Order: sequence, then structure tokens, then C-alpha cells
Amino acid sequence: MENKNISPGFYRMALDISANSRLPVPGQFYNVRCGETKDPLLRRPFSMHRLTKEKGSVRLEILYRVVGKGTEWLSGRKKGETLDTIGPLGNGFLMRGGSQDVVLVARGIGIAPLYALGDALRIENPKVHIHILMGARYAQRVFYKEELKKLGEVYLYTDDGSIGYHGRAPQLLLHLLETNRLPRGLDLYACGPIPMMKELAQIAERFSCSGQVALETHMGCGFGACLSCAIPLKPEALKTCAAWQKPALQWSEDGSTVYSLICKDGPIYDILEVHWDEWLA
Amino acid sequence: MSGSPDLSVQIGGLRLKNPVMPASGTFGYGEEYADFLDLNRLGAVIVKTITLKPRTGSYPHRSTEVASGFLASIGLQNVGVEHFIKEKLPYFAGMDVPLIVNIGGQSLEEYVELASIMNTQPRVDALELNISCPNVSKGGIHFGTDPGVTRELVTQVRGVTEKTVIVKLTPMVSDIRLFAEICQEAGADGLSLINAPLGMSVDVKTRRSKLGRNMKGGLTGPAIKPLALYLVHQVSKSVDIPVIGIGGISSLEDALEFFIVGASAVQVGTWNFINPRITTDIIEGLQEYLIENKMRVFRELVGTLL
Repeated sequence: MENKNISPGFYRMALDISANSRLPVPGQFYNVRCGETKDPLLRRPFSMHRLTKEKGSVRLEILYRVVGKGTEWLSGRKKGETLDTIGPLGNGFLMRGGSQDVVLVARGIGIAPLYALGDALRIENPKVHIHILMGARYAQRVFYKEELKKLGEVYLYTDDGSIGYHGRAPQLLLHLLETNRLPRGLDLYACGPIPMMKELAQIAERFSCSGQVALETHMGCGFGACLSCAIPLKPEALKTCAAWQKPALQWSEDGSTVYSLICKDGPIYDILEVHWDEWLA
Repeated sequence: MSGSPDLSVQIGGLRLKNPVMPASGTFGYGEEYADFLDLNRLGAVIVKTITLKPRTGSYPHRSTEVASGFLASIGLQNVGVEHFIKEKLPYFAGMDVPLIVNIGGQSLEEYVELASIMNTQPRVDALELNISCPNVSKGGIHFGTDPGVTRELVTQVRGVTEKTVIVKLTPMVSDIRLFAEICQEAGADGLSLINAPLGMSVDVKTRRSKLGRNMKGGLTGPAIKPLALYLVHQVSKSVDIPVIGIGGISSLEDALEFFIVGASAVQVGTWNFINPRITTDIIEGLQEYLIENKMRVFRELVGTLL
């Protein structure tokens, strides 16, 4: 294991997972024990950020910001230590082969799973145009700029305008679409706060973009047993396929409400199937 | 005589090969743990609370972490009894692990109906009654906090099933021994305690409950262990039927504490989320502990508090 401070408060950790039988796909996550005592108690979920294979060894990278006791502990881990992880868990992004234009919309640490996806899309189609909207509240929180430039064209934004576009991600995306700097009908992938993704859903609908979101919430177990990461989906917009079987759906008796477990059915969902208003209520 | 110690325990007509099982609500329908352990090694599997109709459960933002504890409002999300029997129960067909089904209802009639349905299912070995559910006809007061209602509920369920009946007690009462005695008199074969006490946690920035619209949730995990241990001690002194200890068990040592104060068996809950193999780890550890302490029979350890 290696742990690198990449920006104030942000870290990238590399784990050797060569011995693991299953490898992750973009969008999947690992539930990681972040301590040796009972406080913090539960494991913390981290999405696959990058996967590198070299000389027979496989390295999984996770990206995290120190926000509490768990990530504080994690940031203190030193090279050579081992971590107690469960994974890969969850479904992963649907890769639609042949995408020409893709936009990744991230806020802060939300870039972690989107980077993995961008990497995979690039391998799948070297000609793909990847546009990346990356931002945060203020300039010091906007990290990873140089790394992102390797992946595609980067558009920065900040709430206070201290760097890049002055505003939030949905406004920036709308601006880029309305001024035809981004084409209609592009594939959108997002990870960030719920209100941001709710606004992106409206934009996706208006500009005929297909969209997927990587979701996060408090989790108890990460493998579908505790039922604490349930979110409401829209029954009429439910998306299932071979890779998204959604084994943990719970319907109400009259079929008007359906709850889904982020850890098992997700964490990746179609942007139009999530019942954002109900989740935010 | 050599060989492994005898870990078995008897609860009513049910014989468990060892005294360690998962707690209802932390083990899904059992199959969720199949990647981690061989369910056949457990004393029993206890599935989450099953209700008559399917339930979508609580609103989102169901959980938060507190100091050494897990605060969650799941709202009895479950597939309902019909789906359970059709889709979940067959999973256990080829296994020999005893299966305990936890049931809950909104009315006395619902408990009785569920117990009657389960009584017709050969694969179901025992019922655990979750009596910490709101009683709709009594303005939502939890069944298990009213002595009269508790007696009536256990008596009626007893009347419709020959299977082992375990009553899961709530700690949210002034004297839990009273409820334990009532359950024993009403024909319960065993008691399990404690169910999760209720708790709250507030986000001071938004001044909202961290569980959102749910406001409150059940507190579980290591934070409740001293409370659970004390109540298990109290109850095991006041009844003759077996007591199953539940509350914050995260290690062999925790389980041993419960056995020493009088628990004939234990259920492990929240720690399954942190270590999905904790139940089998405890079983292995218990075996070694008994050998080291020259006990050939696990039951010798129960209630040995000095």
C-alpha cells in the first residue's frame, strides 16, 4: 500500500490487489475498515479510482478527502501496511461502446469514480472526446487539475469564482450546451451532491443526453444486509439490464413506490430513474 | 474423553449445535452472507423481521454512525410473508442449519396470522417475536411496552404454533423482568434481548435529525453492550427459560461476558457489517476457550458470574 497527499486534505492510496480473485470495473467500490478500534465503527465505502496492471501486479487506487475520523486514520497509513477491505461491490457504469462525446461532471471528490470511467472509455475508443467539469466551493478545493488534463478537456468552476467558471456545475453545463460548445445528445456521467445531480437530470432530459450517476450515502454493511442505504427510484423510469439486475429492489404492495439499495443495486444509476425529489424531501 | 467440547443448547424443542447466531435485521435473509461463511456452521440463522405485507420501510437517510454505535431506522423493510415463503425460504432447503424467522405485526391478529402461516412451513424451526412494533389499535404504543398486550400476544401466538417461540424484548421499559416473567407464563420457550433502544442524533448545522424525516432510530453496536449485559443478567435471574443475549457483541470476549451473566446463547448484530465472519470466529474461539478452561460442556459456563 502507498498513500500520497496530492493536495491539501486530498489523498490517493494505492493498494496491491494482485491476490484478489475479482477485479473491479469502473463504478464499483470497496468497503474499507478505517481504524482498529470501535470508533469509527463501520467500514467506509471508496470507489475504484484507477486500476493499473504492471508486471503481473494489480494496483487499485482510491481517492479520498479527509472529512472525519475514518479518513483521518486512513491518511496516516504508511507504505507497506495492509488494509482490511471488502470488494469489489456494487454494479458499475454501463459502457455503451462507441461514445463520441462524453461529459464527466464532478464536484470535489466526486471525480474519483468518474476518472476510472474516463480511463476505460479512452481504452475502449481512443478517439472519444472527454469533457470534464470539475469544481468545488473555492479554488483551494479544486484539485487534480493536471491529472484530469491527461484524460480530456477540463472546465473548472467554483461557487465563488475564485477559479474557472463562476457558478455551479449544472449552470456551467447548461452554458456549454446552450452555446454549442458541447453537443446535444452526449453521454453524461456525474458524481457529487444530490441537489447537483438532480439539476443535471433536468438538463439531461432537456438536451436528450443519456446519463448515469454514481451515488453515495451512509452505508452499514455494503453488501445488502442492513438495508440502510435505500433510496427511492421512479417506478416508471426503472432501468434494468444484464449488468444492472437490481436484486435488492423493494416494491410497495401497490407498486407505486420502489426502494433500491445503493450498495447492491447501485452505486451507479440512470440519472432519470432516481427519484431525486423524494430522496431530498 | 477427548474431542471437541459440546457446544449445544436447547431452546424449547429446538436444539442448536452451538450458541452463536446472527441477530435479526443484521443478516438479511441469510443468503447475503453466503459469500463470507458457511451458514451451516451457525447455531441458527435468524432472518430479518417478516410482516404480512411487503414493506418499503423508512424514508431515505436511514442511518448514521454515533460514538461506537450505529443508529438506524429501517422501518421493517421486507418482502412480506408470501414472497418470503416463495423466494427466500427455498434457499435453505438443502441446509441443515436451524432457521428462526422473526415476525412483526401492526396488530395482534397479524402476529397470530403470521405465526399460523409459519407453522405450516416445515423448514421454519422457530419463531422470534419482534414485539417492538407499534400497535396501531393502541395509538402506536409498542406491543412490548405494555404488560397486558405482551401477555395476550404471546398467549395467542403460543396457541397457534407448536414451533419454538422466542420473544425478543425491548429495553425501553421500566422493569424488563416483569415482561420476561409474563412471556414465560404465557408459554414462551425462550427470550432474546435486547432489541435496539431508540436514539437520536442531530446535525447542528441544519438543525435536522441525522435520520431526516425518520427522526429517531434503533441504537446498536458496541455502545449498547453494558446496557444489554445488565438486562440479560437481570432477566436470566428471574426466569427459567433460556435467555439469548444480544447487544454490541464484537468479539469472543463480549460473547463470553453474556454467557457468564446467564445467556444460554448469543446473537451478533451490527458487528456482522464490520466483520461478516464474526459469528464463526466466535464459535471457533469459544471452542478453544472451553478447552483451555477444561470445560467439556458449554452449558457449564452459563450463569457462572461470581
